[in-house]
Amino acid sequence: MKKNKMLIICFILPCLITLLIMYLYPVGRTVLMSFFSIESVTAGMSDWSFNGFGNYAKIFNSPAFKTSMWNMLRIWLVGGVFTLSLALLFAVILTSGIRFKKFFRAAIYLPNVISAVALATMWIQYVFNNDYGMLNKMLKMVGLEGVKWLGTDMKFWAMLFAFIFGAVGYYMLIFISGIERIPADLYEAATIDGANKVQQFLKITMPLLKGITKTNVTFWSVHTTTFFLWSKMFSPVDTEATTIVPVVYLYDTVFGGKGVTTRDAGAGAAVGVVLALIIIVIYFIMNKLLKDDDLEF
Amino acid sequence: MSKKKKVRFGEPVNWRKELSLLPGYIIVTVWIIFTAAFLFWILAASFSTSREIFSGNVFKFESGFHLENYVSAWQAQNVSVFFANSLLYAVVACVGVILISAPGAYVLSRFEFFGNKVIKSGLIVAMSIPAVMIIMPIFALTTQWNLKGRILLIMLYIFLNVPYTTTYLLNFFATLSRTYEEAAAIDGCPPAKTFWIIMLPLVQPALVTVTIFNFLGVWNEFFMALIFASSAEMTPVGVGLLQIVNSMKYTGNYGGLFAAVIIVFLPTFLLYIFLSEKIISGVTGGGIKG
Amino acid sequence: MKKKIVSLLLASVMAVSLLAGCGKTETPAPAEEAAPAEEAPAEEAPEAEAPAAEEEAASTDGAADYSGVELTFWSMWSAGEPQAVVIEEAAKAFSEKTGATINIEWKGRDINTIIQTALESGEKIDIFEDDYSRIAKIYKDFCYDLTDMAAAAGYDAQSFKCFNDVATNWAGFLPCVTEQPQVGGIFYNKDIFDDCGITTPPATWEEFLAACQTMVDKGYQPLALDSAYADFTFGYHLDRYLGEAAISELAMNGGWSENENVAKAAQDIIDFIAAGYLAEGAPEEYPSSQNKIGLTGKVAMIVCANYVCAEVNNNSGTEINWSMFNYPSVEGGADTSNSYAGANSLAISSYSENPQAAFDFLLFLTSGEFDQKMADSASQIPADPRNTAPAIMSGTVEALQATSNPLSWNMGLNDNSDLKASFKDLIIQLYEGKFATGEDFAAAMDALY
Repeated sequence: MKKNKMLIICFILPCLITLLIMYLYPVGRTVLMSFFSIESVTAGMSDWSFNGFGNYAKIFNSPAFKTSMWNMLRIWLVGGVFTLSLALLFAVILTSGIRFKKFFRAAIYLPNVISAVALATMWIQYVFNNDYGMLNKMLKMVGLEGVKWLGTDMKFWAMLFAFIFGAVGYYMLIFISGIERIPADLYEAATIDGANKVQQFLKITMPLLKGITKTNVTFWSVHTTTFFLWSKMFSPVDTEATTIVPVVYLYDTVFGGKGVTTRDAGAGAAVGVVLALIIIVIYFIMNKLLKDDDLEF
Repeated sequence: MSKKKKVRFGEPVNWRKELSLLPGYIIVTVWIIFTAAFLFWILAASFSTSREIFSGNVFKFESGFHLENYVSAWQAQNVSVFFANSLLYAVVACVGVILISAPGAYVLSRFEFFGNKVIKSGLIVAMSIPAVMIIMPIFALTTQWNLKGRILLIMLYIFLNVPYTTTYLLNFFATLSRTYEEAAAIDGCPPAKTFWIIMLPLVQPALVTVTIFNFLGVWNEFFMALIFASSAEMTPVGVGLLQIVNSMKYTGNYGGLFAAVIIVFLPTFLLYIFLSEKIISGVTGGGIKG
Repeated sequence: MKKKIVSLLLASVMAVSLLAGCGKTETPAPAEEAAPAEEAPAEEAPEAEAPAAEEEAASTDGAADYSGVELTFWSMWSAGEPQAVVIEEAAKAFSEKTGATINIEWKGRDINTIIQTALESGEKIDIFEDDYSRIAKIYKDFCYDLTDMAAAAGYDAQSFKCFNDVATNWAGFLPCVTEQPQVGGIFYNKDIFDDCGITTPPATWEEFLAACQTMVDKGYQPLALDSAYADFTFGYHLDRYLGEAAISELAMNGGWSENENVAKAAQDIIDFIAAGYLAEGAPEEYPSSQNKIGLTGKVAMIVCANYVCAEVNNNSGTEINWSMFNYPSVEGGADTSNSYAGANSLAISSYSENPQAAFDFLLFLTSGEFDQKMADSASQIPADPRNTAPAIMSGTVEALQATSNPLSWNMGLNDNSDLKASFKDLIIQLYEGKFATGEDFAAAMDALY
């Protein structure tokens, strides 16, 4: 047992230290910063002046921040439902004994391997283009009027659609790895008992995927709160209200956007804290709703 | 499952079974055709001029194949530098992460000790902390310590991936049977050695999977690099591509941009295909079922 | 066992660095504060005399001896861009002439996220490059006061006055040297104007509308517009009615409906769209609409800054016969003539050990041969008005010289950083024809507060 103690300490220490310097300290400091008014990110503590909840009041009174939160909520909810359902659908299809499984899996995951900068450029310049874009060409082929995808009405949904397309493969892989851990004998037994694919899915796959689903929802929430690049790519010259998300707001506030010369690291920290709180709340709700399955395979 | 699979490949096509899978085939195929259309467009664009790209004529190649796009992307637009940087960051970070995470995950999942629960939840919480929550203090800290350059980014990438990797591996270590350790202990193998020689190889499929995730994550990482890569020499591909997009204003070489996209994308793609084979054989044939 | 040792080592290294960090956070903060503040004046005093003498030498035989001097230059360009190529050449030529070594670090366009912290921590930077408004407003405490050196070198004669005045006004002293001036206005395809028989560019909104009508009659589409520049375009129109100060005031505090000129300006735009003067599909996603100027040859004009010309030429692979005129004035408006002007500028850090050498290099780069080269190879406006603008920039030098009070980007709309994204949204909607009357637009603007 003494040996084990040594082992535990040695093995866990690097992990623990990572947690401390990369997470605990920065998080603590960010939380602290959010209660002070600070102009520059690098300003030493002596330059901070206590501001109470002033920074929070500021961001929650800021229409840009409110818009960004609203956009994020829509991305999380609408995007989450679509992404996770598609991912689960593909995962089930691919594990149902389909041929060319490896090829399909690689192909569906593919967009994740491409840099999002490239993907976004492609969506904007090709798929959504007004004149020669792929979507409008397809609409015209079936006799429908082309849609202005990147106008103020549609731009947000266009961006979300493009984002979902890229994200599905990732969540599919996680679902697949979960499904493949379900012992095949369970399905074999079910098939012998005469259960069809849908029943097998509902009675075996779904309940056993609880843990994985929880992981996926948590990942998706983190993914959503860190949404940044797509928004930046869909508003090329300067931030636009249709696509603004909290991280873009934070980036502009902390580092200054085009033509903006005021910076406010304190307000930026407050945005970070709000985002973190949201994730924590989601995580606890998920934990309550989906209790861990402690099935041992 | 592995047995079933082998048998199936030897069998003649079972048409009734295939028919029942038809809806699945259709859904997946449509999705993939969509993906393929994109990829071919990017590929075609990388051989076209900016004029052809912006008038929607990339598939016609009226002015021939512009291979020089690739040359200009690699040399003039600095892709060679971004490429080398990303490769360095991804490889070093992936190894570093496993060295920290695997032992941590092992003891967390196999031993009861003081703080176990706290660290586990700490990892999960850490994983869920948005990067924006930590960048500001880290920015201040690294400036104070005068830490910068490639080493800073590598360290950040390692630390950033530790919580996810550890948590991911936890589940896999937890599924291993205790009999392995008991047998090793009876043979007189010390616990640390048991871990490196016996337990770690058993979760190899998980290691491979998580390393692919980490590798691709680091390869295409954007936000940290945007803030912490302080000069062009240490810029990885994600931010590098954005720089190329930004400089389009002045160079107008969109063909070169897409050539850069292809260059950046090809190695990860090949790697993925190559490694996905490994996951499949590992996941289906490995020791998970015991 | 081996691995155990490795992980132990790793752990101890980390522990040490953590401890070091804890200890350090306490002490350096105040020291860091004091350092630049103390150093700057201390250095300025002796330097202020030295330059005069050195400058004499420099101006008599044209080359001071700076052998052994090393300058670090943080540039906002990325290697390979035309601007970067010229800077590199200039640095080499300067080295040969004076013996100074110039180390250039390409930081790319996001330099603004790192420069401040680098300056605060006293990193070795002698010269840095960024937008002049950021230099003069944000980094001014770390900028070397160039006033004396500029006076000694006769800098006024080789630069645009408006930038120097504005920067001096913001910072309280001359903080930077203009490198790449930009000017806004209406850029147009001169061939289309010639074909339509429009010889003098329109100066008033009425003349402008008449010109648009002529173009439409001839089968041309007058104005391209990408939604990314919608607020810039409308900002110009609003400025002609209200002036930038009034826009800024409205942007900060609201009250758009109370000012009848807002509705008037919006109504002008609504009528403009109804008359069919916007290019087909506009407003579009950047850069689709502006590219049509080059791709179709049928679209005549765009409201933007001067870089749009090179951009369109490159993207469409055509050589448009570009020219520009100032945004037309409106009847009874507050501002008839100012244009947007901005610049990328070069500054010297307040703690630089060789400010005179750095300053000489800046002048070397922004005047004469290399300035001309920069203007030609990147299709920009020369920083030295005595140089000639490349053909596609014709009219820009004159426009800049006529500007005394340059407008800022988006003419004051950006002053409300909270709402600017929402303003942009409404303005794009205005160009999409979503508002029936100018009053509706003004009301929608007020609804944001």
